[in-house]
Amino acid sequence: MKSPATIGSSGGGAFGEAALRCEGVTKAFQGVHAVNGAGFDVPRGQVTALIGPNGAGKTTLVNILSGFMTCDRGREFIGATEVTNWPSHRIARMGLMRTFQLSRELGGLTVLENLLVAAKDQAGEVLWNIFLRPGMVRRQERDNIERALDLLETYGLYRLRDARASELSGGQKKLLEISRAVMAQPNILLLDEPMAGVNPALIDRIGGYILDLKRDGVTVLMVEHNLNVVERICDHVIVLAEGRTLAEGRLSGLRENEQVVKAYLGEVIDAGTVR
Amino acid sequence: MQLFWLSVGFGLVTASVLAVSAVGLSLQFGITNYINFAYGDFMALGAYFSYALNNELLHLNIWVATVCGSVGMGLFAVLVNHFILAPFARRFRKTFYVLIVTFGLSLVLLNLEYSIWGADVRFFNMPMDRAHHLGPILLTNAQLIVMGIAVLLMLGVHTLLKTTRLGKSMRAMSDNTSLAMTSGIDTKRITTITWFLSGTLAGLSGTVLGITEGNLTPAAGELFLFVIFAAVIVGGVGSIYGAMAGALLIGLATEISAAYINPAYKLDIAFVILILTLLVRPSGLFARPGKA
Repeated sequence: MKSPATIGSSGGGAFGEAALRCEGVTKAFQGVHAVNGAGFDVPRGQVTALIGPNGAGKTTLVNILSGFMTCDRGREFIGATEVTNWPSHRIARMGLMRTFQLSRELGGLTVLENLLVAAKDQAGEVLWNIFLRPGMVRRQERDNIERALDLLETYGLYRLRDARASELSGGQKKLLEISRAVMAQPNILLLDEPMAGVNPALIDRIGGYILDLKRDGVTVLMVEHNLNVVERICDHVIVLAEGRTLAEGRLSGLRENEQVVKAYLGEVIDAGTVR
Repeated sequence: MQLFWLSVGFGLVTASVLAVSAVGLSLQFGITNYINFAYGDFMALGAYFSYALNNELLHLNIWVATVCGSVGMGLFAVLVNHFILAPFARRFRKTFYVLIVTFGLSLVLLNLEYSIWGADVRFFNMPMDRAHHLGPILLTNAQLIVMGIAVLLMLGVHTLLKTTRLGKSMRAMSDNTSLAMTSGIDTKRITTITWFLSGTLAGLSGTVLGITEGNLTPAAGELFLFVIFAAVIVGGVGSIYGAMAGALLIGLATEISAAYINPAYKLDIAFVILILTLLVRPSGLFARPGKA
């Protein structure tokens, strides 16, 4: 593992504004490059979409950025700290949380407990603190429960707080995933297709939650296929194709970009995703 | 009838020892996802640590020696994981290989015990014991203390898992390790703590097994391991509460049956219960999604 380092002034993008940055990230599976030199800046405090055709390497990249997978080459920075190939719990503690394309939940734990395990820097995690500093551990736990219940109220899951997470519906699991990530008070949130398999009413609600997070100063990077959603809530769009960054900018501008239309947008418009 | 109540007393004592050991085995299995076949030898080694402190080195009071020996076994388990099992678990994705390593470890530890303490039966240095009548049940001081330790430990494990942040992290990891990691849980540290707890419970149950049986041999743990497996599987593999319930069921059933059938069939009775349970409820009595 590389030690933390500060990035220099060289390289593309407006350094200082990037909450998350990757350079030349490459990952191959048995000789096939899933990601092949992708590099971009995710601007701080904005909602950025990562779009691209199927097989462009979006999910692999999210896996690498969140420490779920290591990359073969390339570098990753959170703010000014290099976090290349850090394990996911350390990346999470740096303030980067993620959700999954297919919702994952800690099925044996209750909805409330799912949120409580995501709270950061807890004294109760250390065995002897439970015996030596019980007051502090209890106080923290009480504050966490209060905050978790507030979040569950916000995300419409309060009445399900004591249900096992495995018993939730698909849409409720999506909301649980997002609220669990928010519980960790992230600076950066990576959402892997948060709207996939979700009904239109819930899409609007999730979109609203993402904009609320942006208002609270959270930087969001979301993989998304639904261009209506991208148009409505994303400030910045990164197009990935064949594992590389093809283009960046606002969606309206990218619609004019011949390469982007050829690689992705044309296909999506034909398929009717954009009405 | 007196014979029945006498065997209920024995059953409760066996269940207590079994519950402590079964919970220790289940905790570790829930986190690492492979069964530690050297667990019986962990029990025996922990018992010998206590024996050494009680009868050879410091001549500590039996209960003080039990605590120190068990904690020593917990630390030993952490070292075994760090230097032997964890490197194999990292290298091989299939837990089958690690399982074989634990088999090998079991042989090494057994022979280590033989080489240090020999094959002779050893005895703890204990004060004279008195028997008490609790209703129709007759129990000695030591047996009452062992039952008290088991009840306190079960309550402690329940409190740890349900109310503390550490316990929730352990349950989260038992449920889905990679998701636990992305939630910011340091899974390596949780694994180390789990090995410490599992080793301590193994040492404790090995020592109290020696105390209740009245003697100590290197092979005692390995023989008892089969009964622990029966309790753990009857309860539902990986479920801590299942392990507690399985221990009570197997403990009572083996001792009560021993009063009426030949005691040599105790182990057979445990396995008959195991087979019947698996026929009726293949995943065990208390198996639920999310192992703990």
